[in-house]
Amino acid sequence: MYDFDIIVIGAGPGGYPAAIRAAQLGKKTAIIEKEAFGGTCLNWGCIPTKTLIASAERYHHAAHSQDFGVAAKGVAFDYARMAGRKAEIVSKLSGGVQMLLKSNGVELIKGAARFEGTNRLSVVQPDGATRWLSAASIIIAAGSDSAMPGFLPKDKRVMDSRAFLDLTELPKNLLILGGGVIGCEFACMAAALGTKVTVVEMLEDIVVVLDRDVRRVLRKRMEALGITLLTGAPLTDIAVKKDKVTGTYKDQTVEGDVLLVAVGRRPNTAALDLARAGVKADERGTIPVDAQGRTNVASIFAVGDLVTGSIQLAHAATQQGVAAAEAASGFKSKVEKVCPSCIFTSPEIGLAGLTEAKAQQLGIAVKTAVFPFSALGKAMAAGETDGFVKWVCDPVTGQALGAQAVGCHATELISEAALAIRNELTIDEIGNTIHCHPTLSEAWMEAAHAFHGACIHLPKR
Amino acid sequence: MAQAVIFPKLGQTMEEGAIVKWLKKEGDPVVKGDILFEIETDKANLEVESFFEGVLLKIYVREGITVPVNTVVGYVGAAGEKVPDQAPKAAAAAPEPAAPPPPAAVPAKSSAPSAPAPVAAPAPVAAAPAAPRPAPQPAAAAPAARLVISPRAKALAKDACIDPERITGTGPNGRIVEKDVLAYLAASGYDALRITPAAKRLAAEKGIDILTVRGSGDAGRIMVEDIERAVRRRPVALSRMRQIIARRLVESKQTIPHFYVTVKADITDLMAYRADLKAKGFNYSVNDFVLEAVILSLEEFPIVNSVTDGKTVSWRGDVDLGMAVSVENGLVVPVIRAAQTLTLKELNAQTKALAEKARTGKLTPDEMTGSSFTVSNMGMMSVDQFMAIINPGEAGILAVSTGRQVPAVVNGEIKIRTVMAMTLSVDHRIVDGSVGAQFTNAIKSKLENLELWKSLV
Repeated sequence: MYDFDIIVIGAGPGGYPAAIRAAQLGKKTAIIEKEAFGGTCLNWGCIPTKTLIASAERYHHAAHSQDFGVAAKGVAFDYARMAGRKAEIVSKLSGGVQMLLKSNGVELIKGAARFEGTNRLSVVQPDGATRWLSAASIIIAAGSDSAMPGFLPKDKRVMDSRAFLDLTELPKNLLILGGGVIGCEFACMAAALGTKVTVVEMLEDIVVVLDRDVRRVLRKRMEALGITLLTGAPLTDIAVKKDKVTGTYKDQTVEGDVLLVAVGRRPNTAALDLARAGVKADERGTIPVDAQGRTNVASIFAVGDLVTGSIQLAHAATQQGVAAAEAASGFKSKVEKVCPSCIFTSPEIGLAGLTEAKAQQLGIAVKTAVFPFSALGKAMAAGETDGFVKWVCDPVTGQALGAQAVGCHATELISEAALAIRNELTIDEIGNTIHCHPTLSEAWMEAAHAFHGACIHLPKR
Repeated sequence: MAQAVIFPKLGQTMEEGAIVKWLKKEGDPVVKGDILFEIETDKANLEVESFFEGVLLKIYVREGITVPVNTVVGYVGAAGEKVPDQAPKAAAAAPEPAAPPPPAAVPAKSSAPSAPAPVAAPAPVAAAPAAPRPAPQPAAAAPAARLVISPRAKALAKDACIDPERITGTGPNGRIVEKDVLAYLAASGYDALRITPAAKRLAAEKGIDILTVRGSGDAGRIMVEDIERAVRRRPVALSRMRQIIARRLVESKQTIPHFYVTVKADITDLMAYRADLKAKGFNYSVNDFVLEAVILSLEEFPIVNSVTDGKTVSWRGDVDLGMAVSVENGLVVPVIRAAQTLTLKELNAQTKALAEKARTGKLTPDEMTGSSFTVSNMGMMSVDQFMAIINPGEAGILAVSTGRQVPAVVNGEIKIRTVMAMTLSVDHRIVDGSVGAQFTNAIKSKLENLELWKSLV
């Protein structure tokens, strides 16, 4: 007999929902966490960054509301207090996760886990003692860490996003390596608080998963915030010089008080000793799984950032975690195909399903329909007219295959699109659904009308 | 004067074929040597060149239609010249009596299989001697009685994405009226059917009856994927090659009483010898040794290298050895002519060349015709044993399986040996059990006789 029916390794957004679901299904469940309940998302990712972004937005709005008839004098911010508020919220949520796990009867085990066999784990606990555990099924949800390539100097001024979040004072000049989602989010947050930001991205453009028209809006707004975007060439000759970090982009020398490294994430699989369980990982350390999250070993599942090809987002991990817990409990679950993405830049971006560029790459014929916020009353009222929403549709049936939104509250707006795509609505159901006026979500309905060239609120072309 | 373009006869046994693709349109200028069209025979796709110069005046035979060889498929002549509206009955009836020389055929690229294929397949069928056979009948659709349905009922059925053929009409003469459709929908649980809007659009677009679709979405909701699966369930015409394979296999199984003899050869020593040869730079495959052993055995047992029609039996004389090669979506059987006259080295070279031609689609029809016995080797495909179907026109076929390490008894002791199963399928009308057994054992003893191979290499 095993000690547990199911053991989950890692209590991040993939692991803790998996453990709760397993417990709900009546399984004797344990969860092992080596650092902080809630994982990267809650402690060093989504939640702390969004807390800081909320502070930055408050400040930005307070300082820039003259056009709205609001004059505030002497608007100032205290980054240390912002950071303190962040720490409070994180601690509250992390406590909440532990409470949820306990209330469902999940046993919480602190320590670093490694495989000792297909059904066996050892856990080095905080007091140094090793505990041996066994389970019928094991769900690996150990997540990922920022990749810190070897060519970077080892210095406290060269940091990943997690170390950056621990700062109690913002740098005056921030150099960011990597213009992906994380690099751009931090760039916008720091720039809104007056930091001079330079982003260097080796690829042709920032956030290349997005369609070009969406990127164009983001790029323009980031540049308007004073961010220098250097793309299409790598940052070389990176060196720490006394109180700054310097590097070379093309022939130009760039510098910052610190260098934030945001070049992707690395799966936390090396320390797990997967080979002892016979679990196969690919050369990048990620684990290939089937539609239910099952690894090559039938009783072992993997979810979240460390899964091959998985979209590295908290909500993707959560859905995978629940599906894996159900599969490990003998149900025929499956991982959902449509997973929306949210990018907390300024302006925000939401993405779900197929992009136009991806469709082109796959040779799928699509028809797009766009509606700009500049033509929406609510956007004008809110002073947020940059950006647009866009449907990517099947040209014959009008099925919504993908959507992107860039602009104010785009990360909230995208959920409606995800609902439509997941449930295979056509552009007509969307266009025929009454949307509240005046709201930003009217843009989805208007864009649906644009599919047929029948927008009420755009001049006839 | 306009010259008739005829559908060429490209092999001795070729009786019919289809134009896969016209590369010229009516009105296109043509010079000698231009590729006019691509044809598909039961063996390969080939390009047909023009022997005339002028303008392609007329195309009679559209793509995909099977016609007998020598059919007039079009005319080439001076621009504006008059040609018949209907194709003349046969080439002989062409206005220009001069029957043009048969156009040169070069294998078309499109017939080249892309996947490398092992020299193996269980059921070679392509190489048969000329035997008259009826032209294939186009699969006639069952003469559907005309559906009598009211316009309102029809519109309702269409809107509901269901097939009205399944509805029983209660109107005059069994006419389907609106209430019949409504009753049918109610009785078939249509109201409980859940389907996504996009899936319903797609079903309407593709003419799929959604009552026949099983939903895979939440609570059995029909999703786009389910409609796509339904579309994929529709019958798709077999390729010409597969149709020929189908016909030949049925013919063989229905007319030739097969029986089967399996013998296992211990090839441990042969494998070691082969490795030795390889180290010295001689690259023989296991298949080369098997083919040679078969050739020698056929010389010893001429009845297995014979053919019967049930009344007479004829010895085939030469060992024209067919070698089944699987290609993309089918298989071909190139023939090694008078294989008994070849040295092992020559056999090896021919085998390699033919296999390569098969894989790249470059075999000519004549290279795939007239084998007298066939070997199908699935040794590369990890099989323990299988039985092949005899090519019509031959007496037998040998199915060669994978050499596997097994515990074997050698001089009263258990040893690890590499053992390969070979199954002979043979025509019982002319070969009896004892001959089948002797023949197969002859192959085995040759494979196990290292001295023989040392003398042959």
